[in-house]
Amino acid sequence: MRTQRSISVTLVALIVVAIGAIGFGVANIAPLDVLAIMGKSLFGLPVGSHISAGSTSIVMEIRLPRILAAIAVGAALATSGAAFQSLLRNPLADPYVLGTSSGAALGAAIAFLLPLTGIAWELGGVQLAAFVGALASVALVWRIAGIGSGEERIASVLLVGYAVASLLAAALSLVMLASGANLRAIFGFLLGGLDGVTWPRLAAAAVPIALATVLLARRGRALAAFLLGDEAATHLGIDVRRERRIAVALATLATASAVALAGLVGFVGLVVPHLARLAVGSDPRAVLPLSAVGGALLLLLADTVARTIGVPVGVITALIGAPFLLWLLHRARAGYAL
Amino acid sequence: MSTTTATPPYELLGAHDLRVDLGGTTILQDVSLSIGPGERVAIVGPNGAGKTTLMRALSGAVPATSGEVILCTEPIQNLSRETIARSIAVVGSDITLPFATRVDELVALGRIPHGRGPAGPSDHDRERANAAIERVGATHLQHRDVRTLSAGERQLAAIALGLAQETPILALDEPTAHLDLRHRMEIADLLTSLAGDETIMKTKRTIVAIFHELDIVRDGFSRVILVSNGTIAADGTPSEVLTAERISAAWGIPLERAARL
Repeated sequence: MRTQRSISVTLVALIVVAIGAIGFGVANIAPLDVLAIMGKSLFGLPVGSHISAGSTSIVMEIRLPRILAAIAVGAALATSGAAFQSLLRNPLADPYVLGTSSGAALGAAIAFLLPLTGIAWELGGVQLAAFVGALASVALVWRIAGIGSGEERIASVLLVGYAVASLLAAALSLVMLASGANLRAIFGFLLGGLDGVTWPRLAAAAVPIALATVLLARRGRALAAFLLGDEAATHLGIDVRRERRIAVALATLATASAVALAGLVGFVGLVVPHLARLAVGSDPRAVLPLSAVGGALLLLLADTVARTIGVPVGVITALIGAPFLLWLLHRARAGYAL
Repeated sequence: MSTTTATPPYELLGAHDLRVDLGGTTILQDVSLSIGPGERVAIVGPNGAGKTTLMRALSGAVPATSGEVILCTEPIQNLSRETIARSIAVVGSDITLPFATRVDELVALGRIPHGRGPAGPSDHDRERANAAIERVGATHLQHRDVRTLSAGERQLAAIALGLAQETPILALDEPTAHLDLRHRMEIADLLTSLAGDETIMKTKRTIVAIFHELDIVRDGFSRVILVSNGTIAADGTPSEVLTAERISAAWGIPLERAARL
């Protein structure tokens, strides 16, 4: 009903925007031609004989991987954000709440300093380092806060996440001070962006993203019980320790892969779940899938603007996200309380 | 254990020589009790006596250190969490929610143990949730944000959440805490009336509730379990259990004042 309709409408919007976005750019390609190119290149359909090789190459080599990356990253961040908000019962939680962002940034910064050239660079040495850094920081928070031990307290999980993130941020500052000519590249990673996404890099990140996001979006039942707190979730038949471990692991895998592909894109993971709640209420069984589709749509729109005016997408999401958050807080007085 | 009630037809909820240690401290010991279908049982006792831990042990939220807990004639450790959640609903003393949530959305969460798969509450679940809201007389609150409700209204929503679980046993931890006189009486009357309902197991609903107000217990409950110092001090009818001597001993108050309670 309301949930299914919201998801369907958003999904249709996503597909329409995606086709439009593939055609949109310095070289404009009509939506029908985009479909023809994709039909011909992907499925070998006998269409689009009038289309130039240049257009085909722009669509297939440059725009399609970038647009798929925006969709994957947006879905991963928004779904993880929604999961962390429910899991930690905190409307301020985002995908980076357990130190993912700082860990990834430090990993990437170190990789920029290493003499990575040629094949290692092509395969995404920086991306791999960011991925490993993100997983390592969450592993540290997990260990210290005792996630899944049954003894952890939400406030202490949040504080441990904050402390670990601060520590890693300090290390990142040191690396940046020592980075010299690489400073610009590190800064670019921190701002987040989808420039230069290639098929191999997309494929490497998209597999874990798709897996983790889909599995996470299906854990809504347990996450719904978590809204009431651990004790009440237990009384609703949920194995709290097990479900918390699974949800944190999946959300971390999705976030770390997204960060590896796109750098630190902010606000999507914080704002989209709240938008979803405005549309379908607070039950994670509805919020998670709608966040996935909505996050994909929002990041795709933001990235289309970003590449048109030539700024990193993270700047655009912050420019849209921060005022939106303020609007939501303002609205709180009129009904939907954040 | 000085007094006992008539033996129930079968053991719906029970404890045998139960002991519970938490963090190295013994919270409950030598606890034995047996509750049959359709009984209405009040648990009373001073703060820190172990009432809540007893309720948590009876609902499998904390494991028995020794002895055993019986739920629907089965040792509770043999039952899955979901089976337990379909047998006993536990209504906590306060609901706090991180996000704006309507009362009907909240109550639909009570259907979680009956659900399968990742999809949200089904039409049937919503229907059962609305029936539970109607049963507690809170239909007018259905679309309100839980976080804007008064304490009494929130307690009604919490009880509806427990009813939506459709369990033969409804357990409540201080359902009258923070309520004024009128709302206390309303909740007490509601519990009395709920105990008469037939549940999905074709028996009358069993109600186990923790209280601090002895007048409510005397009025509305046929059986009282007095928990004191981590064990059961007395178990029987209100007039048997709630004597001035026992009240004085359990709560540590002078006998002449206990006699007036």
